[in-house]
Amino acid sequence: MNYAMVLDYQNCINCKACEVACKEQNGVQLGADKQRIWVSTYENSIFGNPFVAFHPSQCNHCVDAPCVSVCPTGASYFAEGGLVMANKDKCILCKGCMEACPYDARFVDDKYVAVDKCTFCFDTRISKGETTTACQATCPTKVRLFGDLDDEKGELVQLLKKRKFFVLKESEGTVPKLFYLFPEKDTSFAENSIGKGTTIHTWESYKPVIDKAVAMRRKS
Amino acid sequence: MKRHEIAGVEINAVSIRELLFSKTMLLAYLLLALGAYGVWEVFSERYFLLTANAFDAGLHPGSTEVAEAMKEAVFGVGGEVKREQPWTLYIVNYMYMIYTGSAIIFFVALAEIFNVKLIQRTAAGFITFGLAMVFGGLFTIAVDLNILHMHWMFLTPNIRAGMWLMLPLYTVYIPFVLFEIYLLITNKHDWAKKVAYGILILSIMIDLIEYYIQAKLFNMNTARHLWTTYPILTLYFIVSAFVAAIAIMVLYSYFTHRRSLGDDFHILITFLRKSSLYVIALLAMYEATAYLFIDKEWGAIILFGEYKIYFYIYLFLAVGLPFALEFKEHSNNIWIIIGSLSVILGTYLGRYIFVYGGNAYPMSNRFGLGFEKYGEYEQAKEFIFFSPHSSEVLVVVGSLGVVLAIYKILDMLFSVSKIREH
Repeated sequence: MNYAMVLDYQNCINCKACEVACKEQNGVQLGADKQRIWVSTYENSIFGNPFVAFHPSQCNHCVDAPCVSVCPTGASYFAEGGLVMANKDKCILCKGCMEACPYDARFVDDKYVAVDKCTFCFDTRISKGETTTACQATCPTKVRLFGDLDDEKGELVQLLKKRKFFVLKESEGTVPKLFYLFPEKDTSFAENSIGKGTTIHTWESYKPVIDKAVAMRRKS
Repeated sequence: MKRHEIAGVEINAVSIRELLFSKTMLLAYLLLALGAYGVWEVFSERYFLLTANAFDAGLHPGSTEVAEAMKEAVFGVGGEVKREQPWTLYIVNYMYMIYTGSAIIFFVALAEIFNVKLIQRTAAGFITFGLAMVFGGLFTIAVDLNILHMHWMFLTPNIRAGMWLMLPLYTVYIPFVLFEIYLLITNKHDWAKKVAYGILILSIMIDLIEYYIQAKLFNMNTARHLWTTYPILTLYFIVSAFVAAIAIMVLYSYFTHRRSLGDDFHILITFLRKSSLYVIALLAMYEATAYLFIDKEWGAIILFGEYKIYFYIYLFLAVGLPFALEFKEHSNNIWIIIGSLSVILGTYLGRYIFVYGGNAYPMSNRFGLGFEKYGEYEQAKEFIFFSPHSSEVLVVVGSLGVVLAIYKILDMLFSVSKIREH
């Protein structure tokens, strides 16, 4: 299994239901800066016409996760399905993982004096038989879709085969597993809501990247 | 003075009053007291901050503690560790103390191999002071880490992580340096000479490994391009640490040996001054070329952006001023003392820029469109700069107390600062 998530980010209406559901489901510390998932806003204008883009995000559960490599105690580790997990009991608060993460996806949970991050609800939902994460289940506009990259017939892979997508900070070489769907309509607007250097992928172009990274990880 | 001898080591029979209430120790206590207050502040915020999650609100309805925690969550500053600036003054001080302390040991070992007589005669004191600095650095990092979970370093180690590699290295390094001091302070010169070279070469190798692992530790943070694009980071650490180490050796010599060495004191200072000029020149060459290789986003922040004032002050204090003051030989030592103080301040600022600069470019530009906000009620930050918290500053002050106390106690017991003829 190789868990991942697809985000149809242009469906996001910034209702923050996902953030609330995450805190409720996973017991995340309360506080505006204590988030496992978040929605950032980007405002700009095209020829004087203002627009706003919402970018929902969270841990990318990278195949080549630098946060796992730097952790001295194994508190950050790859769990079932390639999930990047953080064991709070083992965390010595060296903050190396926070420095290593290119996505700023980690924060310190002051309640446990340890680093916390998104788990794709593995411990609270997926391992108990649920098939969706809390953020996915609560989203009114169906932004998120959780699934298995190894399941070729699954909804997630089928969607990635059908639609173009991009990943965040690809140049960092982390092989992230949050796939942002590139809009099918109004592509010129869509291109303005992502960075200029962003590579738009198809399943055929990105699948070998994932397979190679997974093989490398298994070898090491 | 009456002495006891154990395994060839002469131990001075000093009274408790002499050992613990000298002027140096009283100064160390003052610094340690300030440090203890800093530790108390850090620990009270880290371990006793009122926090809550959604479960608390459901399980303890009406609890005033939960209400206070929720108020803290909304209006508080967000806990001890800031998400956008994980490594702060603790890391700066740890780096400075460890690198500079190790560099003193490294430098003395080199001088012994090259038969620099004056350094050989004063080696025990220098190395002991270097080791005391290593302990000062370890004190700082012990405050920074969650010591309640430290046992996991051994129970489930990730031996590829730079952080983990440092710990076993210390368990080899510190006894090794202590053995080196033992060789120096015992008068069994025949036996010592037979193994001294091997020990010294091994000592240099361990020092080099330490610098390599420290560089690896920063290099593994692939997202922080200041650290990953610095060319030959190990070499940079050695050169910059040497600059600081020699400055500290100058001050140490001034306070410890200016009377005991007599006429030779001037020769020692001249040797240190000349050595200092070489390493300052090396550091200048490094800084002049390094930024050709550094990621332009980080380079721009440090050379032309918000950090530029710190960077140019660092160059002035660590390179320009001391080079100008020390280039020519003066009959009065005051110029080299001022130059050394300038180097100490400058190289500390250099470490500060290195650590804080690594965090300066925010990671929040995830979509390549601009920086996102860290907090719901904050502005987006295009660069990150934090002034250290007062408790961190106090912990750093406390680490100076650790250095002084360790050195002074060892000196009182073993006379490490005594001039020894080889």
